[in-house]
Amino acid sequence: MIAELIVLGGAILILLAGIGVVRFDDALARMHALTKATTLGLLLVLLGAAIDLHDPNDITSLILAAALQVLTSPVSAHLIGRATYRARSIDARVDVVDELDAPNA
Amino acid sequence: MTLAILLVLLGAAGCFAYRLGRGPSLADRIIAVDGLLVTGVAAIATYAMRTGNGSFVPVAVIVSLVGFVSTAIVARYIEGRDV
Repeated sequence: MIAELIVLGGAILILLAGIGVVRFDDALARMHALTKATTLGLLLVLLGAAIDLHDPNDITSLILAAALQVLTSPVSAHLIGRATYRARSIDARVDVVDELDAPNA
Repeated sequence: MTLAILLVLLGAAGCFAYRLGRGPSLADRIIAVDGLLVTGVAAIATYAMRTGNGSFVPVAVIVSLVGFVSTAIVARYIEGRDV
């Protein structure tokens, strides 16, 4: 029961990430919503499944999947953000300071 | 209970599929693909819970790896293009 509640919480976080990806109006904001919410959501889902399953083989596979998610999610978010910035597809408003555009950057 | 979890994940997959179809930029589409793969990994874990059979759990590891590699490759590909 505890395991199922944890998995349900993680699934709801993933659903919130989906709603954010639909509703935000900028590629960077969408990437932000996706990365943060799905990292914790998927970790909760895999934790709940690891509590529920009994075979050590399955549990180690779930731990490996969780470790891969934690390691790769920030990297892919960074790559997407950098590609979006270099493609100049962010609508920089007048009051925004573009710190990456500094002369000595 | 696991059916409710799978329905929540189906809703999330619908949101990501909408963004995958609408775009507008290539970065938005790769974000949506990333979300769909995460939803798939979560669905595989939930399926293993529902059936008590962990045969598909290694597939979650593979899907997670493939998702990262595809995101990295497409991000390098679209870098410097005008979307």
